[in-house]
Amino acid sequence: MPLPCLLVDHPRYQEHDTGSQHPENPSRVEAIRQRLRSGPLKDRLLVRESAPASRAQCLAVHDESYLFRLEESCLMGLTAIDHPDNQIGYDSFEVALLAAGGGIAAIDLLERGEPGAAFSLNRPPGHHAESDRALGFCLLNNVAIAARHWQSAHGRRRILILDWDAHHGNGIQNIFLNDPEVFYISIHEHPTFSFPGTGFAEENGAKAGQGLTLNIPLPPGAGDREALEALECLVAPALAAFKPQALLVAAGFDGHADDDMSGLLYSTGLYGRLGIMTKRWGQACEGRVVSILEGGYHLESLAASVEAYLLGLSDD
Amino acid sequence: MYVTNYMKRSPVTARPDDTIAEVKTLMANHHFRHLPVVGENGRLLGMVTDRDVRSAYPSSVLDERHGKDELLKVGQTAICEIMSYEVVFLPAFATLDDALVLLDRHKIGALPVVDGRHQVIGIFSIRDLIRAYTILFGLGERGSALVGVKDDGRPRPLTRIVQALEEHDIHFSRLVRNKSGLSGGGAPAISIRVNTMNLRAVHQALEEVGFVIDPMRPEKL
Repeated sequence: MPLPCLLVDHPRYQEHDTGSQHPENPSRVEAIRQRLRSGPLKDRLLVRESAPASRAQCLAVHDESYLFRLEESCLMGLTAIDHPDNQIGYDSFEVALLAAGGGIAAIDLLERGEPGAAFSLNRPPGHHAESDRALGFCLLNNVAIAARHWQSAHGRRRILILDWDAHHGNGIQNIFLNDPEVFYISIHEHPTFSFPGTGFAEENGAKAGQGLTLNIPLPPGAGDREALEALECLVAPALAAFKPQALLVAAGFDGHADDDMSGLLYSTGLYGRLGIMTKRWGQACEGRVVSILEGGYHLESLAASVEAYLLGLSDD
Repeated sequence: MYVTNYMKRSPVTARPDDTIAEVKTLMANHHFRHLPVVGENGRLLGMVTDRDVRSAYPSSVLDERHGKDELLKVGQTAICEIMSYEVVFLPAFATLDDALVLLDRHKIGALPVVDGRHQVIGIFSIRDLIRAYTILFGLGERGSALVGVKDDGRPRPLTRIVQALEEHDIHFSRLVRNKSGLSGGGAPAISIRVNTMNLRAVHQALEEVGFVIDPMRPEKL
């Protein structure tokens, strides 16, 4: 029996207004919804609604002054925060709280015993957001907030975060840099070429978290072969040695060959392989796997890749 | 742009009649390898390096008693005996490019910086140069990406690129045109370090004015 596909979504994700020209726009989640509803996953889809992350849940990751600044910027009618990349509208703060709540809702569903392949279909994305600033289309660090919730609400202390978005998740890395209980692994296009310019292989954690950051940069033009090699030779052994109690996936789909936001050349099929691998890795922590949407800007390939990933994650 | 922004100011200096032992201690205490030697009014006379000091001492292969006598004698020698007098220096208005050329040409690790009266006001090392260019190139900071552009051979490519980027309010910290290509020996190539994640907007701005994006893929090994 295939697993149900637990999709945490919210209609208000459409209301984070980034303007007419921005690659991170409401069509992204809409394209995914349509694809999942009409394709081979439609009969195993369980859609749940996200709820806003609480103040305390956000404060576990972000500075209070940044949360005030973000809220004020939206309500004052500013169109961007910290950089023109980070477009905002009047509703963006509330939508960002819902996006941060997506991972939390998925975790709570799993912990309540609902079996399934859990995926938070949220926007804005989060992995570039730092504790005190927005960066790279990201306002709140959705994955980091989810990790802290898993630890504090359910006692799953040892968490592994796997990030295969084409860009390095500087926010996640910095938030957990010194943390001995959270292992951050990222496969991304090499920082010399790719935004944000962090994630060199030499960055491997600090203090008590030394060794618990693993960066695997790939050169422009790298594709399935290079990614699979990294997953099998570097990620799998690191994961097995760390023995996490829960697995969070920062699932970005902008490494796809059709996506113009990175120089990586992944196929749709690679995301299917990632789903199968992630499911296998999740079995070592009793299926506690939550995937949270990050990037992915080519609408058709984004939707097809999410579908392929979820098929891999939920198939027998 | 100027070495004075990145040099070490008011550096420790030595006098020509300081002994080798004194200078050795001074260098060890401060972890210096280059010490300007100044005369009256702080004017530059020369430089003494840790290599000059080490070369002045006898070989450690000598037998112990003989070595001890030698050591004492060398230690009491004034550094004017071992320092170099024909020194290369940087004027206060020298640029980082000037420093790079001089450090490379003379194969040295640091240069004294002097004012119009030849008084030593700073010392500028290869480390300082690396730090300066890292900052100037916007390297190691969060928030940038590198975009390659094919040189189409038409006139004024850099002007057209800058104009296109500025019209779209796309910020960048570095624009380099390399005549022999990114890997050397190839066709001319242009690279831009842009301060944005929105590469789609960068590509569009450049393609609108007729450029072709270079994916900058390394050669397959």
